[in-house]
Amino acid sequence: MKPSFLQEVEADPDAVARRLMRIAHNRDGLPEIAIGTILLTTAFLIWLQVAYPRGSFAYQASWWGMMLLMMPMIGGSPWAIKWVRRRFLIEKTGYVEFKTVPKGLLIVVTCIAFVVAAAMAWAVHLRALPPSGWLLAGTGIVWGLLAAYAGRLPRYVVGGALMAAVGICLGLSRVSFEIGSLILYGSMGMLSLVSGCVVLLHFVRMPSEETD
Amino acid sequence: MGSAKIQRLAQIDKVIHEPARLMIVALLSAVAEADFQYLHRSTGLTKGNLSVHLSKLEGAGYIKIEKSFRGKYPLTICRLTKEGKETFDTYRRVIKGAL
Repeated sequence: MKPSFLQEVEADPDAVARRLMRIAHNRDGLPEIAIGTILLTTAFLIWLQVAYPRGSFAYQASWWGMMLLMMPMIGGSPWAIKWVRRRFLIEKTGYVEFKTVPKGLLIVVTCIAFVVAAAMAWAVHLRALPPSGWLLAGTGIVWGLLAAYAGRLPRYVVGGALMAAVGICLGLSRVSFEIGSLILYGSMGMLSLVSGCVVLLHFVRMPSEETD
Repeated sequence: MGSAKIQRLAQIDKVIHEPARLMIVALLSAVAEADFQYLHRSTGLTKGNLSVHLSKLEGAGYIKIEKSFRGKYPLTICRLTKEGKETFDTYRRVIKGAL
């Protein structure tokens, strides 16, 4: 350990613990695989709306998929990651049980998500959405910033910057919101999935001495 | 800064103040429980070094160590005791007050 790191531990042990946990959490690439799967599923559902006419079974299925599939996928991904780690990777990752999230916080986050979703649905109903260019650029920037902030590792920062850049480019182009979203979520989902798989393969193939 | 706060630095817990043990305790305070392998990988300490520090913390009554199995995989699960949590909270307060 370096002296500066030791000083950091003494000055703010909580921050160091959070950083170490973040590095450990992202070491096997599973979070990126989960994010990539969610983004690609979103892109697939958008593609159904782009490729099939309104009222068709595929078009209806995409709306039902958006409503019924996305929230369980997002909410269930931490459990899926935990299950895979404990089932297949426990010898390399080790065992950890995180503290349960306080119920109050869960309720607040759920309420905020519900209000945002309701506001967006209302805006769509009233056709009061901003121009699609703004929406695409905003989506790319917001998700890019979130990815960089949540991961705070170089590959997350690069991925977040790419997502923001793709969003801005799509926003400046004359592409429709649906096609733009399809390109944004599809490309970022693929990037995240490939990046996660590469990290996971590297992690699995690494001798125990090195992963240790 | 009050001199009383600085004087309190002399009373901080020496077992926790050692950087490697401080890192272990900080990690354990952020989770419900973790096994030896997770701590080993997260802290970057060698297995021998980690083992010694865990023994010292257990000896001081700050952590509880339990051996168990998950399938065929042996687990050495560590978690902070109530005393460990209180000592770490006190340590944080003293350090933050002095800095």
